[in-house]
Amino acid sequence: MAAPLAIAHTHVHSMRAASGKEVLVARVLAAGGAAGYGFTLNEDAAVARDMAAWDALARSKGVSLLALLGGSYRKSVKAEKDDYPCIAPDWPNFRKGILESRWNLLRIDPFAWGSVEIVQTLAASAASFELGIAFLAPNEHPWEFQYCAALAATVKGEDSKVIFRKAFQDRELRVKDEPGIGVDWASEPGFKEIRWQNPQK
Amino acid sequence: MVHAGSMYVIQKTERTVIELLLENGITGLGETWGTPEAYALTGRFAKGWIGKDALDRHALRDATLGKSGYDNRNGRNGLASFAGLDLAAWDAAARSLQLPLAELIGARRRESMDVVCTLPAAILDRAVTRKELTTHLDVLSNTKLVVQFAQDQVEKFGFRNFKLKSAAYSTEWDWKLLHELREAMPEARIRFDPNANYPPAVATELCRRLDDLGLEFFEDPTGELEAIARLKAAVKTPVATNMWVVRDEHLAPAIRRNAVDVVLGDLFMWGGIDAWRRMARTANVFGLKPALHSVYETGIATVANLHLASALPEVEYPNDAGLHFLTADVLAEPQVVRNGAMKLPGGAGLGVALDRAKLDALSVEAAVIS
Repeated sequence: MAAPLAIAHTHVHSMRAASGKEVLVARVLAAGGAAGYGFTLNEDAAVARDMAAWDALARSKGVSLLALLGGSYRKSVKAEKDDYPCIAPDWPNFRKGILESRWNLLRIDPFAWGSVEIVQTLAASAASFELGIAFLAPNEHPWEFQYCAALAATVKGEDSKVIFRKAFQDRELRVKDEPGIGVDWASEPGFKEIRWQNPQK
Repeated sequence: MVHAGSMYVIQKTERTVIELLLENGITGLGETWGTPEAYALTGRFAKGWIGKDALDRHALRDATLGKSGYDNRNGRNGLASFAGLDLAAWDAAARSLQLPLAELIGARRRESMDVVCTLPAAILDRAVTRKELTTHLDVLSNTKLVVQFAQDQVEKFGFRNFKLKSAAYSTEWDWKLLHELREAMPEARIRFDPNANYPPAVATELCRRLDDLGLEFFEDPTGELEAIARLKAAVKTPVATNMWVVRDEHLAPAIRRNAVDVVLGDLFMWGGIDAWRRMARTANVFGLKPALHSVYETGIATVANLHLASALPEVEYPNDAGLHFLTADVLAEPQVVRNGAMKLPGGAGLGVALDRAKLDALSVEAAVIS
């Protein structure tokens, strides 16, 4: 389920974050003119493009990603330090692990697994097997926390949360209800400096 | 048409039709079972929805049914009543967002979908007693009436897909009839549904004898989950269920037990679109095929099922559909079967409108909840 959106133009830009890390930022322009943004700190921009399409759709409709995905199970999400390994993006291993009851909590890096559709499929399996999902913010970037919080809000399992690796303080993340995917783009100073390419006329 | 199967012989259907009005003036349509229990519960649940956000369907579900299966004190009626309201909320939300329902569910992938024609276990001219039905089934030459009925449906509607209901009274009747149907329609996809009324050993023996007939699947040849799992292990034809895997908590045990190949999920038994979509995704991950079950629903639920099938790539089997058998519907634009398929309506939401006069003519009871 890619976002049901007619895409007019996509541009992926590499940006230096305030932390010094490289971030791939995607902008999708919908056929109706709405713009949406997505990001990843990985090398594959597919996640960023998918996220941007959902952001554009949500903004064009004036609703949050949560509304497009069916609503939220919670208005805030816990973020906690966690050192257990994430489940590799490998469906056979995922199936095997579930059937072997290998996990009590599914630790998932959504930026490694991919699209919103894949995350929703993981969430469906988690719900069927009465498991929560811990979404990893792999680089502890504020955008990662916000996106993971939005995803965690849509997951049925009550112990769903956001996890991170470094010794940050545990916190409660508010799930944003504004139009879009719930990421505060302005929190990264480099974002507003991006010179987006526009479609050729 | 008189519907004859192992569970009942009926000549009419009753449904609860729901109109859900949002504050922005947009109305969503829903439908669910028409039993007195489901009708009353739908009204009761609706009172609790006043002032709530139609886009926050997880919260609506928790508020209506509780957080777990245990919390749902109304069982199947509760799930079905919620599903009717939920459908109306999805329709209203999709109309508000100016999206076809299929797109709000996932995507609009298909415009036209094959549907399945139900064949009654026997052709009767009125709703008869079980005794009268079995007397009819004792005359094996009566199977030809069902074959003729099926051929009439091909002639009228171009059906390529059939579901033969079984009274689960005579394995000889079923064996003979299925062979005759296969001979008369060699290319047709045929599913066989005794509604689990054959005992496990009898069902397994019958399905073994039918195994080379190339049926699409055996639907609930027996029950419950353990028995159907044993039967599945004994045959090569796929095995489907609409009786033993019918809500969230059934799916994982069925997967672990390798009990079925196809989850023929009913939107109302599963408790709405979110639950059905979740089932379809999980089933697909674990190698099961989701498919859409239906009985005799109005155009509202029939079209809702088309949207689900269009939206979800996991759905490969054609939808059950019984609308073409109904003598009246509540929609302004008739939803028709042509060449064995139905088209997905255009426009936002379900893409259909009520015909008030038709609804009024069919109404037996109505309530306004505000």
